[in-house]
Amino acid sequence: MIDTIVIGAGLGGLSAATRLAQRGQSVTLLTFGMGGVQLGQGTVDVLGYVNDRLIDRPFDGLDRLPRDHPYSKFELRTVTQALDWLSDLLPNIFRPGPIRNRLVPTALGVMRPTYLIQESMHWPNPATAAVVGPRQIKDFYPELMAANLEKTTNAKATGYHIDLPARPGEVDSNPVTYAKALDNPDFLAGFINAIDAVLGNEDAICVPAILGLTTNVHEQMVTALGCPVIEVLMPPPSIPGMRVNNEMTAIAQSLGVEIIMGSKVTGFSASGSHLECVTLHQAGRNQSYCADNFVYAGGGFESGSLAMDSYGKVSETLFNLPLVGCDDENLITGDYWADQKLFAVGVDVDESMRPISPEGVIFDNLYAVGGLLAGAQRWTEKSGDGIALVSAYRAVNSILGLVSSGKEAGDG
Amino acid sequence: MKQLHTDVVVIGGGSTGIGVLRDCAMRGYRTILLDRADLGQGTSGRFHGLLHSGGRYVVSDPESARECASENAIITRIQPDAIECTGGLFVTAPGDNPAFGDRFATGAIEASMPCEEITIAAALKQEPRLNPGITRAFSVMDGTVDGWQLVWTAAQSAKEYGGQVLTYHKVSKVHHSNGAVTSVTATDLKTGEQVNIECSFILNCAGPWAGQITEMAGLPPVAVVPGRGIMVAMSHRLVNTVVNRCIYPEDGDIIVPVHTVCIIGTTDVKVDEPDHLGIPRNEVQQMLDAGEILIPGFRQARALHAWAGARPLIKDDRVAASDTRHMSRGMAVIDHSTRDDLKGLMTIGGGKLTTYRLMAQHIVDAMEEQLGQTHPCRTAEEICPGNIAGRNYLITHRLKDREDDRTQSPIICECELMNRAMFVDLLKQYPNASFDDLRRQLRVGMGPCQGGFCSSRIAGIAHEEGVVDADRATGLLKLFLEHRWIGLWTILHGDQVRQTALDNWILQGTLDLAHAPATNAVEPDPITTGRPRVNGNTQPTEASQLLGGPETIDASIGNPGEEG
Repeated sequence: MIDTIVIGAGLGGLSAATRLAQRGQSVTLLTFGMGGVQLGQGTVDVLGYVNDRLIDRPFDGLDRLPRDHPYSKFELRTVTQALDWLSDLLPNIFRPGPIRNRLVPTALGVMRPTYLIQESMHWPNPATAAVVGPRQIKDFYPELMAANLEKTTNAKATGYHIDLPARPGEVDSNPVTYAKALDNPDFLAGFINAIDAVLGNEDAICVPAILGLTTNVHEQMVTALGCPVIEVLMPPPSIPGMRVNNEMTAIAQSLGVEIIMGSKVTGFSASGSHLECVTLHQAGRNQSYCADNFVYAGGGFESGSLAMDSYGKVSETLFNLPLVGCDDENLITGDYWADQKLFAVGVDVDESMRPISPEGVIFDNLYAVGGLLAGAQRWTEKSGDGIALVSAYRAVNSILGLVSSGKEAGDG
Repeated sequence: MKQLHTDVVVIGGGSTGIGVLRDCAMRGYRTILLDRADLGQGTSGRFHGLLHSGGRYVVSDPESARECASENAIITRIQPDAIECTGGLFVTAPGDNPAFGDRFATGAIEASMPCEEITIAAALKQEPRLNPGITRAFSVMDGTVDGWQLVWTAAQSAKEYGGQVLTYHKVSKVHHSNGAVTSVTATDLKTGEQVNIECSFILNCAGPWAGQITEMAGLPPVAVVPGRGIMVAMSHRLVNTVVNRCIYPEDGDIIVPVHTVCIIGTTDVKVDEPDHLGIPRNEVQQMLDAGEILIPGFRQARALHAWAGARPLIKDDRVAASDTRHMSRGMAVIDHSTRDDLKGLMTIGGGKLTTYRLMAQHIVDAMEEQLGQTHPCRTAEEICPGNIAGRNYLITHRLKDREDDRTQSPIICECELMNRAMFVDLLKQYPNASFDDLRRQLRVGMGPCQGGFCSSRIAGIAHEEGVVDADRATGLLKLFLEHRWIGLWTILHGDQVRQTALDNWILQGTLDLAHAPATNAVEPDPITTGRPRVNGNTQPTEASQLLGGPETIDASIGNPGEEG
């Protein structure tokens, strides 16, 4: 018998499954895709911008958000407990630091706010910085990044190329190919030599986020080159994201979470307002998976859990949950830079993360977390990871009955 | 002010103007073409991509049908790179009057247009997604044409005969004295420099904008009635053959496979002026409904992009001004020596892209008549440079090319299979180009991801190659995405919403593009949104500043929501 079924393998789904398993539950995680963590930036955002104002202390910014924002559903202590829980879970990945946003460079030379960063992303405020990348990577342009860095930081920055194919004769390699190559000590030595050969006398070195998946390439580079090395955020596939994903998946599995990937949850059965089973379309047939509780972490529009049809009707595609925010006639406008209201449409939940309509809870044992939740402009706010993590944490508290008289129990 | 001397000035760099430039140059005239924007940025880049067999007009406009049938064969021969020989079907959809097919078949014979009625089974075998309820089907010689490829290869031909092309040159004045034109004044919008071109003849090929040119000569404007048509591109080739409804022409009755997409068109709404074309949502819905009639399930397919074009129709008293589709598409040459007692100026209007070469021939013949010259027109005889006789475009050409050179140059736009070398070559030829200018020739950013992956790459490459500085590279990147959005937001639904969310996660989420430093970042198209933007450390400025010029470019022409 399964205690809880988790649908979705992004940060929300993996967190919920892992924490439930830590607390002794039997958990099955159903996911169609590989999860969004590998497409993200490999850090944990909490809140970077509010109304285009940079947020320094994200926890102080939470109360500036509108009442219908997902963060308004959480007590501050739940937010900090969830982040502590994740940091403790992945001590080899996330760098401890002050309770402030960190600014890390992106491939466009923008200093982007985020909260939990990997050790390799730390920006040491160098006076001079080299930006170096292999010519064979097409999502990293050292000169443009360096030129923009000079405007976004105090550093004097210079771009350099190295010419080092990850595989012989290949001019078009993605970051995974490089990361795997760099996990090989011989290739890493050649990589370090090539960088060393082109550098000037800079204080720090920015490289694309390709520094290995299984070995600590970053540490070896710092030692060999004798100065800080900074991994720069790039478009997907995200090597830093894969590190998080791989580690979390391994932990979940080691705790007994069964992960079924590549099959889609297509339906459900319920008795009144109690969800009994979901239907997994698996190997050409439908299979029922039944459990006491369900955590729905299917993601937002990018993953297909929310969709808009050709008539403009927005829906949640699995349980047909009621949505909020979709009554506006101008869900999408012609201003590319404006937040589109469509992307804040989502599911409304009660304090325990159960989807609700004005009439009340939809299912007494269904919890919605992450990108499904209404009210956030995640990519402009830089809030998606935090919402996913904290809502998953909160849903698990509810399932485990760790809520009493308005106070929540943590793991401490 | 820069002074140039030439025989003929052609105003307008659409298909007609380029055809005229080529014809004049081949007949031995020194000729300069001016356009206020890029080549093919007006109507020639904003249609559905149909190379007419003539079938569409065999009942409503037999003269046009005849011209289309013969020009189709010529263009297919002289510009094979721009033409895909898809063939076409005219089908009687459920509810359409099957008797129209008889008039259609008769009209085809009268227009000397190849046409054969085929069985429903054969039609469905050819196009399995077609509505199985069709009652008749006719096979015709429709093809598809890339308007930009067409104008650029014709321009290349003209250049080989000495023709000159000056894009981003906005005409401000047409001078004349003693009843004859003397020169044209224009501004180079990229540098701000004024140019005066002395000439003995001016051919006004400005299409929907032709009236504005005659006004610059101080003449009563030629009455052009711009008819707006919107088109919607679907992300796949739902058909591989052009599919037309066998009815009297109406809205949304054609689906055209072009490159990797297929395009449904079009609406027809009279507008006051061609610079302000919207893409109304109700018309998008109308197109999707029309698509369902020909291809059941059309609404479930992925819509990729929409755009609007203006028909360059000359006012014709025979039909009501509100019904532009049924005006004569027959081209009209207006000789201003008889209309306005001004020698050396002629205006051409009407016509269609399929007959662009013939239109050019007509107006150049008319010019020679006034000049008392007779040189033979040879434009139908010579293949445009870079084209190989008989090797028409195939959708697989680029795939083969990339397979051949994939170890030499990385693929920068996976959707449209554009590699780095292609981008760099063109960029170096046109260092002042915007990314949209380059897109029209390379198709970068026109596939399913609409620039989500490739746009930041081309910014990096343009800067790395030393062609633009970081500020301009970043600004061009932002501008490119703003322009892609013009054609996206009104059709956004289904899988394209999902794609847009992914693109936003990458560009805004991971890379934080909104906060990338670009002092020359620009405002979005004021036509589409009606308001400027202030975002992060970017400042709203005029579009022309990014282009390097002091003058404002008319936003509609600079900010296309074009094909794909």
